[in-house]
Amino acid sequence: MSELFAELKQAVIDGDEDIVSESSQKVIDQGVNPVDAVQLGLIKGIEVIGEAWKAGEAFLPDVMMSAEAMKVGLGLLEPEIAKLGMSEGESKGKIVLGTVEGDIHDIGKNITGAMFTAAGYKVFDLGTDIKAEDFVVKAKEVGADIIGASALLTTTMIGQKQLVDYLKEHNLRDQFKVFVGGGPTSQVWADEIGADGWAETADEAVELAGRLLAK
Amino acid sequence: MLRKYDVLTEEQVKTIHEETMKILEEIGMEFEYEPALEVFKAEGQKVEGNRVHFTREFIEAKVKLAPSQFTLHARNPEHNLVCGGDNIIYMPGYGAPFIHDVDGNRRKTTMQDYDNIVKLAGASKNLHMTGGTVAEPQDIPDEVRHLKMLYSSIKNSDKCFMGSAEGQERAEDSIEIASILFGGKDVIKEKPVLISLINSLTPLKYDGRMLGAMMAYAKAGQAVVIASLVMAGSTGPAALAGTLALQNAEVLAGIALAQSVNPGTPVVYGSTSALSDMHSGSLSIGSPECALFISASAQLARFYGVPSRSGGGLNDSKIVDAQAGYESMMTLMAASTTGINFVLHTAGILQYFMAMSYEKFMMDDEIAGMLLHYMKGFTFDEDGMAFDVIAKVGPGGHYLTQKHTRKNHKREFRTAQLSDRTAFESWSKEKLDTNQRANRKWQEVLANYVPPALDEAIDKQLLEFIAKRS
Ligand code: B12
Repeated sequence: MSELFAELKQAVIDGDEDIVSESSQKVIDQGVNPVDAVQLGLIKGIEVIGEAWKAGEAFLPDVMMSAEAMKVGLGLLEPEIAKLGMSEGESKGKIVLGTVEGDIHDIGKNITGAMFTAAGYKVFDLGTDIKAEDFVVKAKEVGADIIGASALLTTTMIGQKQLVDYLKEHNLRDQFKVFVGGGPTSQVWADEIGADGWAETADEAVELAGRLLAK
Repeated sequence: MLRKYDVLTEEQVKTIHEETMKILEEIGMEFEYEPALEVFKAEGQKVEGNRVHFTREFIEAKVKLAPSQFTLHARNPEHNLVCGGDNIIYMPGYGAPFIHDVDGNRRKTTMQDYDNIVKLAGASKNLHMTGGTVAEPQDIPDEVRHLKMLYSSIKNSDKCFMGSAEGQERAEDSIEIASILFGGKDVIKEKPVLISLINSLTPLKYDGRMLGAMMAYAKAGQAVVIASLVMAGSTGPAALAGTLALQNAEVLAGIALAQSVNPGTPVVYGSTSALSDMHSGSLSIGSPECALFISASAQLARFYGVPSRSGGGLNDSKIVDAQAGYESMMTLMAASTTGINFVLHTAGILQYFMAMSYEKFMMDDEIAGMLLHYMKGFTFDEDGMAFDVIAKVGPGGHYLTQKHTRKNHKREFRTAQLSDRTAFESWSKEKLDTNQRANRKWQEVLANYVPPALDEAIDKQLLEFIAKRS
């Protein structure tokens, strides 16, 4: 059993989706405790990569592929956990992420998503060109802690303001923390539109989330 | 003029071409614009949804229709520019949302910045045109920005400028404005006056806005730069040759569309490909990889017989410092010495296209001047060989009091505009670094600049059109 966990851990470290999904299937077929597989396998693996990243030893593709592999494993094991009526254990938090309406830049958003995944958050990535309403629908559906909106154009940053305004209009403002980011944004802009957080890099976004959610 | 050098062998160029054809035939590209899909269908290309698979015959035949060079007309004919061949056109940076000030502080760009940069480019001896979107004026509502920018470009200089690439409607506004300035659409159709920057959406896509603008310009006979920016490692493979093929596929498909819409449309092969830093993901343009893409793009364009465009004074620094200097010199030198014709972003750019800086503008202007001089190479006429004066001075003398020296140094040597060549004591009075000297210099240039007069009747017509469209 512990061999299977070690396999999962290593496969996440290697960013190998195929092995993660094979091993996760083995967990299910052999009736191994799926919560343990997540906690002692997948999460241990992503922790190793997270540490290597912080130490400057891992590169972006390492972290991003590990995050993807982790998601594949969770995708298989979570339904099993639910079926058995077990609890997965607390994730650090849930974040709904997307690029705002009219904007299709997604590299920075994808990196941000991967860093959150690597840090133990559950990330729901909506993709690009996302309307305020669609961010909120998803956030309500999954019970998100944070909504993160990326904007790379001076002409689409307004979408971040629309998100905050939409939440206000629908009396939902205090239910979610709103994070904004992307090249042309700034702390001044975040303050101006009343967002809860702004970060210049994905790493800083994760740190900020840790601070804000701990409160 | 120095001979431009190659970074690829003939064999390698052919390989890139073959790989490109494979991409276009087997993978195809997506075009999010119905009128473009219609054009490709009518040309017998395989269209499924937004995906177009091209035949090599189609691409090769269409690319051949593009002129190898063309003249871009300015309101002052002295500033007409030939784009292509051995010519080089320098201009300011494009599209940056921020200004980095001399103290390293960052602020939003304004219309005032736009005006100022056009004026500095107008005043420059080294910049051949004033470019477009030289600073994104964030204090002007998006819907009218293009109108205000065009007006400023026309009013503040008589050099060539660029049109808006933000969709069909803004392209048509640009064409209207140019027609007012030059005396009608027929006139500009014969003599192109606008050039605009059409970008692909890497990897392997074009969006409706860019295609709408491209088709409007092609119909009006105006020039378009068709450019691809691949970030190797994120929006393209972590492979330089593969990235080149990917970029090439996008650019050739764009050129083929422009030539299908209007055969003979003046087009420029464009590239700003660079890489994603594998720690931060950031675009990195002050890099040797970017310099290689620049040079290879010049060579590919030569292979296809069209003019080329790349970036110029590129760098990832946040302020005018040594990094800004050494990176910008590398990329602008690569562009200039390997045969790029249309050098967007020659002056002013900092931090991978995110910012413009007045001080950086002045430094790049100096670099541009140095390179223009460098590219002249050696002069081999009588004065250049200087045998007579060598004989006259003979062994042991000096040349400072020779007529030949007095007359000839002005041709053979370039006077530095910004670089400090003084001795230590003179320098140490104020100890100004490049950033500080440049800060004084641009203010001086701006204070002394008088924009060339614009015909009053035309000015009135332009303002009326802009009011109507606002
Ligand atoms: C690559 C690129 C593209 C690619 C995008 C491909 C893709 N899949 O994303 C393509 C070619 C498609 C493209 C298109 C366009 N682009 Co573009 N593009 C860029 C470029 C060069 C790099 C962007 C990038 O990915 N950077 C790397 C990532 C890692 O950085 P980042 O996104 O800032 O993300 C980091 C942080 O900001 C933060 N972060 C990001 N998101 C979030 C979210 C949250 C919640 C938080 C907390 C943090 C966070 O974390 C990230 C990692 O640390 C920039 C210039 C630049 N240097 O940034 C121009 C740039 C953004 N583009 C620009 C423009 C104008 C366009 C176009 C309009 C025109 C055009 N040139 O074609 C179109 C618009 C398309 C559209 N409708 O969106 C301009 C914008 C200028 C302005 N006034 O706003 C820029 C600045 C270039 C310029 N100087 O002209 N572009």
